[in-house]
Amino acid sequence: MSALARFIDYFRGSGEYSVSVPPFDGALRPNERLETALELVQAPEPDNLVTLADGVVFSSADSLLRFELDAPAGAHTSAVPLHRLPSTVTALAARDEALAIGLEQGGIVILGGRHDGATISALDGVAINCPTALAFEDADTLLLANGSASHPPSRWKSDLLDGGSSGTVARIDLGTRRTARLAAGLAYPLGLLPLADGGLLVAESWRHRLIRLDVSGKISRVLENLPAYPGRLAPCREGGAWLALFAPRRRLVEFVLREPAYRQRMMTEIPSEYWIAPTLRPMASFLEPLQGGMLKQLARLKPWAPSRSYGLAVRLDAKFRPAESFHSRADGCRHGVRSVLEVSAGLLAASAGADAIVIVPRPEEH
Amino acid sequence: MSESFSRWRARLLPGHIIGEILSKSWIDNAIPFLLLLLSIAFFSPRISDFFAAYSLEDNSRQLGELLLIVLGETIVVLAGGIDLSVGATFAMSTFACLGMFNALGWSVPSVMLGAAAIGGAIGLVNGLLIGYLRLRAFLTSLVTLIIVRAIFDALTLKYQIAVSMPNQKSDLWDFLGNGSWFGVPFSLALAAAIGLLCHITLTRLRLGWHIQAVGGARRSAYNAGIPVGRTVCSTYVLSGVLAALSGALYASRLGAAGSDTGVGLEVAALTAAVLGGVSLGGGRGSVVKGALGALIVTIVQTSLLRLGLGSGASEMILGILLLVAVAIDVKWLKNRLKVLAKVYVAPGYLALPAAEVVDERSPYALNDRLNAVELIGLGEIEGPEDVILDTAGNLYCGSRHGDVIRFFAPDHKKWDVYAHIGGHPLGHAFDRDGNLIVCVSGMGLYKVTPAQEIVKLSDETNRSWLSIIDDSRMRLADDLDIAPDGRIFFSEATVRFDVSEWMVDSLEARPNGRIICYDPRTATTRTVISKLLFPNGICMTLDGQSFLFAESWGCRITRYWFDGPNKGRSQVIMPNLPGYPDNINRSSDGHFWCAFVGMRAPTFDLALRMPGFRKRMVERVPHDDWIYPNMNSGCVIKFDLEGTVRDCLWDRNGVNHPMITSMREHQGHLYLGGSLNNRIGRLKLPGADPEWTGMRSYWQGGGA
Repeated sequence: MSALARFIDYFRGSGEYSVSVPPFDGALRPNERLETALELVQAPEPDNLVTLADGVVFSSADSLLRFELDAPAGAHTSAVPLHRLPSTVTALAARDEALAIGLEQGGIVILGGRHDGATISALDGVAINCPTALAFEDADTLLLANGSASHPPSRWKSDLLDGGSSGTVARIDLGTRRTARLAAGLAYPLGLLPLADGGLLVAESWRHRLIRLDVSGKISRVLENLPAYPGRLAPCREGGAWLALFAPRRRLVEFVLREPAYRQRMMTEIPSEYWIAPTLRPMASFLEPLQGGMLKQLARLKPWAPSRSYGLAVRLDAKFRPAESFHSRADGCRHGVRSVLEVSAGLLAASAGADAIVIVPRPEEH
Repeated sequence: MSESFSRWRARLLPGHIIGEILSKSWIDNAIPFLLLLLSIAFFSPRISDFFAAYSLEDNSRQLGELLLIVLGETIVVLAGGIDLSVGATFAMSTFACLGMFNALGWSVPSVMLGAAAIGGAIGLVNGLLIGYLRLRAFLTSLVTLIIVRAIFDALTLKYQIAVSMPNQKSDLWDFLGNGSWFGVPFSLALAAAIGLLCHITLTRLRLGWHIQAVGGARRSAYNAGIPVGRTVCSTYVLSGVLAALSGALYASRLGAAGSDTGVGLEVAALTAAVLGGVSLGGGRGSVVKGALGALIVTIVQTSLLRLGLGSGASEMILGILLLVAVAIDVKWLKNRLKVLAKVYVAPGYLALPAAEVVDERSPYALNDRLNAVELIGLGEIEGPEDVILDTAGNLYCGSRHGDVIRFFAPDHKKWDVYAHIGGHPLGHAFDRDGNLIVCVSGMGLYKVTPAQEIVKLSDETNRSWLSIIDDSRMRLADDLDIAPDGRIFFSEATVRFDVSEWMVDSLEARPNGRIICYDPRTATTRTVISKLLFPNGICMTLDGQSFLFAESWGCRITRYWFDGPNKGRSQVIMPNLPGYPDNINRSSDGHFWCAFVGMRAPTFDLALRMPGFRKRMVERVPHDDWIYPNMNSGCVIKFDLEGTVRDCLWDRNGVNHPMITSMREHQGHLYLGGSLNNRIGRLKLPGADPEWTGMRSYWQGGGA
C-alpha cells in the first residue's frame, strides 16, 4: 500500500512530494535586528564563535582569530590571529584553555590545555572526513558530529541535494581514546549542545529539526518543521539555547529535491555556485538562478522575496521553543549566519554573507 | 536519450491545446456532454433496438415535448427564479386543448392560440406575484401548482368524458401530435426551432442579456437600470406559454386527459435543467445545457422503462444522477479557474545554443559604465518601457497606468500626460509627419497626433486557421518601427498571455509570437512572420529594405528583408546572445543599440531542455517561486550588421537599472527605460555625434 500511497502523493504533489514550507510566523516573524546590528569585526567567512578565557575566538577560513569585547559598543574591534591551521576550520569547541578544532581535510586537532597537540583522524577505523560540530562534555570528553560520510564540509550543497543522511555523532574520551557512537543515519548534524541533564541537543540540518540524544541513546524530537536549515547551537544564559540558521528553506529547492532527473543533470553540468540550492551569500552573479518573487520592482528587491540566502538567529526557551528571533531579510546583506554566541554585551552573530561578525546589543534592563 | 524524447514529444504532442480548449467559454458543456455519452454507452448495449428508427422516433417525440418545458424552465432559472407550476400548466393546457378542439370544435390555429393564452395567463399570475410583488419564487410557483392542479382536477372530474369525445377530424391536429418531417417528429422540430430562437435571444438580444444579468446579480442589474420586474415577469410568461404548447402537442398525441397528466413533470424539467449545468442560483446556463439535460433525462427514463424496471426505479435513478451531476458541477465551477491556471501553461522544449561567455576578455565584459546616469522622473513615472525624443527634445515614454508621459525639454524635470490611451504603452516611434505611433499592450497599435488626438490604427489581424485561441486580437503589441514608405512593422510578443503575465511565456518557451505589418495607405493589417520566440524589438536598417528584430527567449537577433530583391529572406545575425534582447534602436554611428532585459543562467537554460520539470513546477510550486530568467541584471550593447559587439554598458549592481528594456540615443546622450522601473536614465556618450537625432536619421528631420 505504501507504494500506491507514494504514487498518489507523486501524482498529486501531496505528502512527501508536497513542497510547502512553514512560514516565518509567531516568534519567527521577520524583523531587521540582524540587518541593523552593529558590525564588530570584519573577516572573510567567519564561523565557530566560542569563548576562550576572557575573549572570543572564531574561525575564518584556515585561521583562528581572537578578539576582546572591552571596546565601547559600536566601535570596530580588530581580531588577532591566534593559530594557523593546515586547512579550513569547520568545527570548534573550547573548554578552559583547550581548543578542539575540526578541519576540512578531515580529522580533529586539540590545541592548548591538557591534551595539547592531540590529533584524531579516525573513529573505530572510520575516517573523520566531515567534522561539522564539536563540544566538550567535560575536560576529557569530546563530542563530535560528522556531517556526511560521502562529502567534505565544503561540499555541503552536494550532500543536501543528494539527500544525504549519513551523519554520525560520537563521544571521544581524550585520555583513553575510546570512542562511542551515539547516533548514526543523521541528516547532516551541524549543531551540538550538551544539556545539563546529560542529554545532547543536536541540530539535524537537512531534516530541519532539533533532536535530543539521551544518555541511553534514545532519539527524541525536540523542535520540528523549522523554516530554515539549523546550524550551530550555543548555550543561553536563561536556559534553553541559541540557534543559528544558515539558509532558508524555499519551495523551489524543495521541489528540485524531488526531481531526480533535473538534479542529476544540474549537478553534473553546472558549477555548484550556480545550483538551485541554498547559499550563504546574497545573489552576486546573474548566472545564479532567480525566482519570480526576486524580480526587482521599481528597482528594489522586496524583503519577502524568496531569496536563496537569509540571516536568522533564534533564541529557544527552556522547552526549546522559539522565543525570539533576529533576521536579515532578502534585501539585506547579513546572511549565512552559521554561528551565534551570547556574551554579556549582547548577541554575537557570524555572518558569512557579509564577511563580518555583528553584535545585537542586549536590551537595557529595567 | 531522454532529451531527444522530450524534444520529439514536445514537437508531436501539442500539449498547449488542452489549456486553450479549457479557456473557451463553451467548455462548461463538456460535463453534461460526457454524462450524455456515458448514458448512451451504458444503455445501448442493454437495449437491443436502442438505435432503431421507430424507437428513435418515439423517443424524440417525447424529447420534443419535454424540451419545450425544459426551455421554459431554463429561462426562468437563468433569471434566478424557479417555476414549479409547469406540470399543472401542462395538464391545464392539455385539458383546454381537448376541450377547444373536441367539445367546442375550434380550428387548430385557434386551439393553439387559446392554449398559449391559457399558459401565458398562468405564467402572468406567477410573473406578477414573483416579478412585481417580489414574492418568493419557490413558494409562489408551488402555490400556483397546487391551485391550478386543483382547478384541473375539478374540471376533469366534471368534463373528462366531454372533452375526450372526438367531434371533428383534422389532419393538421393529428400531425401536431403524431406527424414527422423526414423522420423528425413535429414536436422535436418545433422545440428545435424555438430553442434556436431562445438561444439567439439569450446570447445576442437585449432581452436575453437582461435575463442573464438579473439572474447573475439582481441588485446590480437593478442599479444598472435594467427593468428587473418586467424581465422576471416575462420569463414566467414565456415558461407558461411553452409549457402550454407542450401540453397541446401532448393532447393531440394522446387524445385524453387523465388525473395523472403532467404529474412530476416539474421535477423532470428541473432535473433536466440542472443535469445540463444550468445553475439554480441563476445567471449561468444556456439553451444547449438545457437541451443536453433533456436528452439525458429522456434517454434514462425511456431506457429504464424498456428495461422493465419497477415503477419507482426511474425516479430513483434520475435522483441519483441529479445528485452526482450537481456535485460534479459545483466542484467544476469552483475549481475551473484553478485547473485552467495549472493546465494552460504548456512548457515546450527549447535547446538554446551555448551562450557567449561573459568574462573580462569577452566584448560583454562587466563594467560600471551605467553608474554615471542622471535620473529623469525618479519616483514619478512607473513602467517607462520605451523612451523617445522629438525634434524639440521633449521626451516621451509610456507608463503602466496607460499614459504617454511627456517630459519637457531641455532638463526633463517637468512633465505632463501627453495622451491617456489605456493598457501599457510599450514601443514608440515617430512617423514622417510627427505623429507618435505607439504599441499599446492589451490594445493594439495607436497613433497620437501632434494635436494630442488619439487614433486607433489597428487592433485586429488575420486569424490563423489552425489556432484554437482567437489570435486575430492582439494581446501584447510590443515594439514597432516604420519603413520609408510608411508601413508600420510591429511585434506581438505572444498570443497566449497578457501583459501582466508575459514572464510566464518565458517558462513556456514556445514560438507564440509574430510580427505584423500595418499599411496606413490601405489601412490593412497582415501577419508577416509567425511562430517566433517572443519577438520584441524591431528596428529598420539603413538600406530601407530590411529590419532587425530580436527574439527575447530565442536569445537571437535576426534580419528580415521586407522589400527589394531579397524580399522574404531572413538571416540570424546574432545567434547565441548571453542575454535576452529587448528593444533595438539606431545609434549615431550607423550601428544599433540593443537592451538585454535579462541574462541567461545555466539552471534556467537546463530547465528549458526539460519540459516535464517545468510542467511539474508550474503545477506544484506557487507562482512567485517559479524559476525565471534572470531579469535583475541587464546591459546595453551596440552591435553592427555583421553581428559584432562594439560596446557594452552595464549597471553591474543593478542600482538604477536592474532591468533595461529600451535605450534611445539622442544628441549625444543615451536614454534608458525599464518596464518595471520608476525612473529613466540619461547617460552622456563621449564621442557620439551631439547633433544626431532619430527623426533626422529616419525622416531627415521632417515633421514636428
